[in-house]
Amino acid sequence: MIIMRSKLEIIFISISFIFTAFLFVIIGSIFIIPSPDGFLQSIFSEEMVTALKLTLSTSILAAFFVMIIAIPTAYSFSRYSFPLKNILKSILDLPIAFPEIVLGIALLMIFGNRFLGPFLNNLGIDIIFTTTGIIIAQFFVALPYAVRILYSTFNYVNPRYEFVSRSLGYGEFETFRKITIPLAKGGIFASSVVTLARCIGTFAAVLLVGGGTYLKTETLSIAIYYNLSLGNIDAAITASILLVIISFIAIFLLEKYAHENIEGIG
Amino acid sequence: MFLNIKDLSVDLGQFHLKNVNLSLEKNDYLVLIGPTGSGKSVLLETIAGFFSPYKGKIFLEGKDITNLKPEKRGISIVYQDYVLFPNMNVYENIAYGLKKKLDDKELIESKILNLAKLLKIDHLLDRNPETLSGGEKQRTAIARSLIVEPNILLMDEPFSALDINTQAFLTELIKNVMKEYQTTCIHVSHNFNDVWSLAEQVAVLNDGIILQQGRVTDVFSKPSHNFVADFVGVHNIFEGKVIKESKGISDVQINNDLVLHSSDTYSGKDMPVMVAIRPENIVFSNKPFISSIRNQLKGLITDVMHIGPTVWIEVDIKGNAFKGIITPSSSDLLGIKKGKEIYLSFKSVNVKIIDGNDSFKSLMQ
Repeated sequence: MIIMRSKLEIIFISISFIFTAFLFVIIGSIFIIPSPDGFLQSIFSEEMVTALKLTLSTSILAAFFVMIIAIPTAYSFSRYSFPLKNILKSILDLPIAFPEIVLGIALLMIFGNRFLGPFLNNLGIDIIFTTTGIIIAQFFVALPYAVRILYSTFNYVNPRYEFVSRSLGYGEFETFRKITIPLAKGGIFASSVVTLARCIGTFAAVLLVGGGTYLKTETLSIAIYYNLSLGNIDAAITASILLVIISFIAIFLLEKYAHENIEGIG
Repeated sequence: MFLNIKDLSVDLGQFHLKNVNLSLEKNDYLVLIGPTGSGKSVLLETIAGFFSPYKGKIFLEGKDITNLKPEKRGISIVYQDYVLFPNMNVYENIAYGLKKKLDDKELIESKILNLAKLLKIDHLLDRNPETLSGGEKQRTAIARSLIVEPNILLMDEPFSALDINTQAFLTELIKNVMKEYQTTCIHVSHNFNDVWSLAEQVAVLNDGIILQQGRVTDVFSKPSHNFVADFVGVHNIFEGKVIKESKGISDVQINNDLVLHSSDTYSGKDMPVMVAIRPENIVFSNKPFISSIRNQLKGLITDVMHIGPTVWIEVDIKGNAFKGIITPSSSDLLGIKKGKEIYLSFKSVNVKIIDGNDSFKSLMQ
């Protein structure tokens, strides 16, 4: 069957093809440039293994906390009317609009020697230049993205499902657990993946709050920056490849479950 | 009074209810009609407990349930768009509410099977809701709400997304199921067929206000409000029975042995029927006249109402109130006034015989 396409259709499809292919080549070039020996040496180096472990462990923890907070936040935005709701939504969206480094400086200010820092120090809690600091930075960078996705997800879930459930004898929380969450599971999964990817990829805020100390608070993105600064191209590219692979897995899963989400809610 | 709603007022911004008063006896079937956007669905969802009124009370069996949580009310709801849980099959959907009430799996299964048979969906229990037709989905939704034996079943335009044949099939089915389950029901509809086929009571809602509630024949034949009169469109409705049928004419005996002739044929002799005559089909005259018109009756004018460019005349004939509509100039010509004797004439073709299965739409045309 021959499909007749309009000129506009051909132009738009061509643009999407050309620039996606260009991006693919750009990302793919990372995999071509390094020497195999340099790559193998770097990937098993103490710095890279430590950075990978640190990145994954802090990101998973931060993403977990983000989801714990983002689910009720997004649900309340979607379902309830309350004072200052729109202002709260705007504040939560702010970190998406301004550079991550600004959030890093703000966190440094609040957890540093002013405001909360001394108080937390007295309680024996160190935030600045610690793993905890990394998790906090990742948390605040990723939270707005998670809330946004979940907000759309809950908006897609028809409140009448919840009404019916409640009319059949189930309480508010039971309904949330038995109906809302299963119907929103695709969106929750998508949100988790994006959150995890965002936590893994956080750089400026993590560098400022965590300090990027070698073998201590150096995440993969910081490792790229340090090794590039020192002219250690193989290590920088190895760290990049690791990040690309992790991101690819995350996005692949996201695409797969995003489809399920839309169909499920339908 | 089983359900008693007093001065209920709800404000949802776009939609509102104002001083709604509604009452229902146990096992009553009330159809709530009104134009789109009149607040019918908001009223149902407020009764179910999803919206809080800022004024007024809802009493169920004498108990104030105005602020009771939805899950404690025992009031279940069926929506036009079915709202079947997509992550559960038909059986699980129906079982959902029952599982909350019962632990006995065998009992749950037998109850589901019984109701599924009654609703003719017993062969669909393993199916995913997405694979069902509209009628099957709605029967599943009704089963899910009915299986918990609610105090009140609320149905929000349950048939409006279905084709006419499925609507007729479901109407019959619902009638039987309601008899079997003895459920008090409030059914929101904009379709007069539902009123005629299912309702014992009807309420008319417009702009958030209940304008009239009562027995179907009362509301349709004696609208207490101009809007109701305009909305229902048909005024002369009488209960009766077909006593004779010959040469294509049915004789219908209504109240106090008054006989009307209709060209509608009806096979169920001596079965209760309703007859309806549209007001504009009634011809008024001061004297009887010889014509092909089969119905010519003498009565007494009991009321004359000037509504816009029309004059509505109510005439009593053997205790039956007939309403007709004429122009002001005709009214002047005939000297229409309260207490005057007048002749009413209407063709047998304009006397519609209706039973529960007939389309009320024909009366509206």
